[in-house]
Amino acid sequence: MSSRQIPDHAAVAVETGALRSRRRHVALRVRLARASLPYLLILPVLAAIGVVLGYPLYNLVELSLQRYGLFELIRHSGTWIGFANYSAILHDQVFWHTLLRTVVFTIVNVGFTMVIGTLLALLLVRVSGPIRILLSSGLVLVWSMPAVVAVQVWYWMTNFQNGVVNYALTQLHLGDFSQHDWYGTTFSQLAMVTTLIVWGAIPFVVVTVYAGLAQVPGELVEAAEVDGARSWRIFLDVTFPILKPIFLILTSLSIIWDFGVFTQPYLLIEQSKLNASNYLMSIYLFEEGYFKSDFGRGAAISILMLLMVAAMSVFYVRRMVRMGDVT
Amino acid sequence: MTRQSGRKRRSQLVWNVVGVAVFVVMVFPVYWMISTAFKPDDEVNRLTPTWFPLHPTLAHFGDAIHRPFFWDDVKNSLIVVLVTVALSMVLAFLAAVSLAKFRFTGRKVFVVLMIGVQMLPPAGLIIPLYVVLSRYHEAPNALIGVIITYMTFVLPFSVWTLRGFLLGIPRELEEAAMVDGSSRLGAFVRILLPLVAPGLVATSVFAFITSWNEYIFANVLLTDQSKQTVTVWLSYFYGTSRYTDWGGLMAASTLTAIPVVVFFLIVQRKIAFGLTAGAVKA
Amino acid sequence: MRARIVAAALLAAAVAVAASTAALGATSRAAASSITVWLQTDAQAANWQPIVAAANAQFQSQHPGVSVNVQYQTWGAHLQKFDATLAGGNTPDVIEMGNTETTKYMAAGAFQDLTADMSTFPNSGTWLKGLAASGRYGGKLYAVPYYAGSRVVTYRTDLFKKAGLKVPTSLAQFQSYGPKLAKGQPKGFSPVYIAGTDWYVGMSFVFDYGGGIATQVSGKWKSLLTSPKSLAGLTAYKNFFDAMSRASKTTDEAHPAPYNVYAQGQAASMIGQAWFSCCVKPYAGVTAQFVMPSHVKGQVMPGFLGGSDLAVPIGANKALAESWIADYTSTQSEKALEAIGNIPNSTALTNPSKVSERAATRSWFVPQAKNWVNVENGNILRNMLAEILTGKLTVKQAAQTAGDNIESVLNS
Repeated sequence: MSSRQIPDHAAVAVETGALRSRRRHVALRVRLARASLPYLLILPVLAAIGVVLGYPLYNLVELSLQRYGLFELIRHSGTWIGFANYSAILHDQVFWHTLLRTVVFTIVNVGFTMVIGTLLALLLVRVSGPIRILLSSGLVLVWSMPAVVAVQVWYWMTNFQNGVVNYALTQLHLGDFSQHDWYGTTFSQLAMVTTLIVWGAIPFVVVTVYAGLAQVPGELVEAAEVDGARSWRIFLDVTFPILKPIFLILTSLSIIWDFGVFTQPYLLIEQSKLNASNYLMSIYLFEEGYFKSDFGRGAAISILMLLMVAAMSVFYVRRMVRMGDVT
Repeated sequence: MTRQSGRKRRSQLVWNVVGVAVFVVMVFPVYWMISTAFKPDDEVNRLTPTWFPLHPTLAHFGDAIHRPFFWDDVKNSLIVVLVTVALSMVLAFLAAVSLAKFRFTGRKVFVVLMIGVQMLPPAGLIIPLYVVLSRYHEAPNALIGVIITYMTFVLPFSVWTLRGFLLGIPRELEEAAMVDGSSRLGAFVRILLPLVAPGLVATSVFAFITSWNEYIFANVLLTDQSKQTVTVWLSYFYGTSRYTDWGGLMAASTLTAIPVVVFFLIVQRKIAFGLTAGAVKA
Repeated sequence: MRARIVAAALLAAAVAVAASTAALGATSRAAASSITVWLQTDAQAANWQPIVAAANAQFQSQHPGVSVNVQYQTWGAHLQKFDATLAGGNTPDVIEMGNTETTKYMAAGAFQDLTADMSTFPNSGTWLKGLAASGRYGGKLYAVPYYAGSRVVTYRTDLFKKAGLKVPTSLAQFQSYGPKLAKGQPKGFSPVYIAGTDWYVGMSFVFDYGGGIATQVSGKWKSLLTSPKSLAGLTAYKNFFDAMSRASKTTDEAHPAPYNVYAQGQAASMIGQAWFSCCVKPYAGVTAQFVMPSHVKGQVMPGFLGGSDLAVPIGANKALAESWIADYTSTQSEKALEAIGNIPNSTALTNPSKVSERAATRSWFVPQAKNWVNVENGNILRNMLAEILTGKLTVKQAAQTAGDNIESVLNS
């Protein structure tokens, strides 16, 4: 506040009026620029996704409402049958059994992956430098194995004839596993698939949670330690709240991936053993849609899967979306 | 040596032992793959497995490298993956900043879209995607089609995850570093980028691995063997109805895993660096 | 200001991507300057490649200026890829199809009609009946026979000699060898290694006893699995398996590969394709083959005639494709294929002294239904065998269930 005399009101009015309108113009331009910025930032991503997925998505919905088999595929046109595909699927017992089986399978896989992954990330923090590099490199080695190769190795390790797992278990005198067929029952097959998937999924969780732990300010942790808090409490009160968005992300992504997983169960259970009693949703989709060349039905199953997985992950997704509003 | 530091040393030792044990269990299948790659054929097919290769041989590696199109396909994979990762990280970071730090109409819709797109079962998209790309004339059988396809898979995940990392940064850290007068975007990029670096690294490793190991779409989109990626090349080892060359397959798989490990070793320093900066030692 | 810079940068990026699209763009399907041929990876073997090269050379001398682009596909993925090309309109000019895969595609109109040009294909008058049938639909020719494969018994001459056994001439005689061959061998040793759900072997027994899988009765498919003859065949299979094979009752013939079991010394013999003899390293010197005997003394048990055909998809360059096929299935080419262990596509070229070709004299094939592929993919026959062998269902019950399933799939 200046100490000069209060100027004439009229002069001030004129001056501030002119200034205000000029400022208003500048302010408007700046505001427009600022307002358009967030849209510009997200535009490339939208464009990339829209250009590639826009038509396929539309096509998927369109196909689901048509009878579209190999015959129609060749002629590039199908016959309109409305919701007949959906109704046929929803009346199919196999669909409901497969859905239930896949939901249970997803819960088990996501549970194991998140718990073990988080524990390993915390372990990674506690070990000394060289061991940390050893363990993280090992995890990345695991992560880097393509799913198809991991399946081959896994299958071979659990081969009932000369698999190393049977051999080792027998040598360790844990029983006679010498010709144990790990793929004899549905439960056993899915258990093998679960082990494989969880094993392959852990590194991602560990690396991401570990990166998240890097954002936890050391001072807060040390302050809590000085106060005498136990590590469990520190984790709950300090670390977890900061890691919350990451846990929500990982859980939501894991649900989506494990629900729709295809490669591992399809290759591990062998084409010759796949049947309605051990289908998972994506395999059901592949068999009905591609093997039987009923693309309309396959598209309908895809849409239904989308709705199912959205329903399963809505809790986590809503929390994540709402989180952005708080900050 | 006080009792305090002695206990600390003992607990450190315990953790280290646990770490090594976890390493052994997790890495065993990888070890099995690599050791098999060095075993001669008769040892590979033996009834009783051998823990170590008794007569190690480089024959399988040599055979794999000399298979047709190996180097072409490695080159293709590298192009596809590096372009995908680079473009995706830039675009995803910008979009994530927008979604995490700005308020604008339609923001919620975009956020939901990012996760919604990932809920589409990939298997359902194969043929529609192929039709779309073949309409753009040169896309099938050209790497650009694969790059764009991979970007649509990597982008939503990356945006979704980076947004999470950005949301997790404590407000105080942001505000403490903000300088008066600088534009919002500039400040965000300069300040947030280093803070979210670990998240960016984790996301880029995921993007790298996902793109590198992807098989289904590469297989459908690329029919010309000289244009295929290395995962499709790998499928020829076990795709024949005849003899499966296990030793060769394991050697080939080991080779294809190398670039991923190299990439990780290069970028992992960022995570470790970030960690010492945050100094978590509960 | 900053926003404008960002916008400009993004625009520049978009332009760059578009430009690179044009630059990196591969050649779109050029008209008659090249043809695309899809063969299976089997043809990538070192001893097979020269045959392909020879055909290409011959083609190029006939059509100078037209190059041949051969692409090798895997059995697991090639049909999905083919479907994608059908949807996208850029099919290959020639495609190799397994002989059980053709019917579905012929019925859907995926191939061009070659009937008018049949005489231009070498040896078309003497094509193997079973193989040629898989290329015909509705009286028209859609696919040219390429090569066939039969199943034989590959056995250890040293073990047979040690037990004082000669090549069996009947099923009963063969089955009696079981205890003699197993004597002194470790647990899990199979006198004859057969995977439990190997339906190619299992159904051979059914056909041997005069049974069948399914037949068309006034337009509708009816299962033959529950006929007394079929049941007799299935029972005979169960008895033979119990006596001779220690393989898993629920796994198929690829997991593990029988030749691996054999090479590990875990089997005295195995039933499978003739080329199994490629991969029995430690026992290569003491390995020979004989034809699987029928339950009727002196006869050959009918074997599944596997094989491939070559078809011309719609949208392809028909004249050039037919020319290439004629070059690749020429007498010279087929003789070369025979030399590396396949059965050539014509009776004029077969050699009865070869075990595999003798085995092909009595053969069976799957019902020529457009939905047959769904029966195979649904593992209906495999499940039936697993249920019978594990005792989960009686032979009659398992055959009944499978028969009902087959009827509903074939008639859908």
